[in-house]
Amino acid sequence: MSGGGRKLNRAWRIFATGFVFVLFGVGALVLSLTMFPILRLSTWHADTARRRIQRGMQLTFRAYMEVMRVLGILTYRVDGAERLREPGRLVVANHPTLLDVVLLVSQMPEVDCIVKQGLWRNPFLRWPVSWAGYLPNSEGEQLIEECAATLKHGHSLLVFPEGTRSVPGKPLRMQRGAAHIALTADSEILPVTITCDPPTLFKGNPWYRVPSRRFHLQVVVGAPIAARDFLQDNEVQARSARRLTQWLLAHFDAGRSQRPEHVETPASMLAPVNVPRAAV
Amino acid sequence: MSVTVKSREEILAHLRQVLVDLFELKPEQVVPEANLYTDLDIDSIDAVDLFLTLKEITGRKIQPQTFKDVRTVGDVIDAIQALAPHPAG
Repeated sequence: MSGGGRKLNRAWRIFATGFVFVLFGVGALVLSLTMFPILRLSTWHADTARRRIQRGMQLTFRAYMEVMRVLGILTYRVDGAERLREPGRLVVANHPTLLDVVLLVSQMPEVDCIVKQGLWRNPFLRWPVSWAGYLPNSEGEQLIEECAATLKHGHSLLVFPEGTRSVPGKPLRMQRGAAHIALTADSEILPVTITCDPPTLFKGNPWYRVPSRRFHLQVVVGAPIAARDFLQDNEVQARSARRLTQWLLAHFDAGRSQRPEHVETPASMLAPVNVPRAAV
Repeated sequence: MSVTVKSREEILAHLRQVLVDLFELKPEQVVPEANLYTDLDIDSIDAVDLFLTLKEITGRKIQPQTFKDVRTVGDVIDAIQALAPHPAG
């Protein structure tokens, strides 16, 4: 692409990214006044409504991913998507970008999510999140019990053990809550590795700082592992949870380092947008 | 275990054993200055386990707020000492 063409493409992607951010906010507002109440009222049974609303979430997020793809903001690919459609598993993912939840939920017809407790005070979103059966991110023991209970019910649950988005080039750090959930529920874990190339929408990176070219989101769904394989006889859960978390960390680190083509140097990953073009 | 007044060293030795058993720490990591959360990588879930174990050992009910301000191994020792009855009464 010529210098001028590249500049134009970049300006377009900044505009398109701003547009999809607004679309997300407006869409969330409109859907919480239309689609979600309609789906809730479509049946007497709260559990049927929960399933329909989760399916609605999937299709909405699928459409949103497609809008971003068609606008030229990103491309994406999911390897092992069929594993995401099987119920009753704890789906554990690393968290490189703002779009991880959208992308994963767009692949899962039914999944419980943990969302900010503050949403239960939002006049528009409080009803959709509670009808969908989503869990508020309360503290410690209570959250683990609630998450384990939903898994025992046969639901799938999506968690990001890093607790927040990671920063490119920095080592991953994980909390042990996900391991405790899986051990308490005696469930299977589906490890999902997400990579974003070039890195964008990571922690601390504002939306208008679009990457040097259209970015690619790659999802690799690993083989399921049983939490009980990490249990040893007469051992407190604190120890098994440490071992399981170490395993997950190593798994994600290995997956993250197998970057697809176009490997960028760490310096250009974090370079601000106004560096000379030749340097990028 | 009976409730007896113990020296800080005895309590530390006991606590060290508990922390090593529960959380796979190295004994030399457990010093009074060590911060439970940052130095010893104990999280809020671990803390619940730790305080349940200490409750069994001391045979005393530990008030949740007693441990709210606990940050270091030394603070835990202080809290355990505070639980033990005074020699006079």
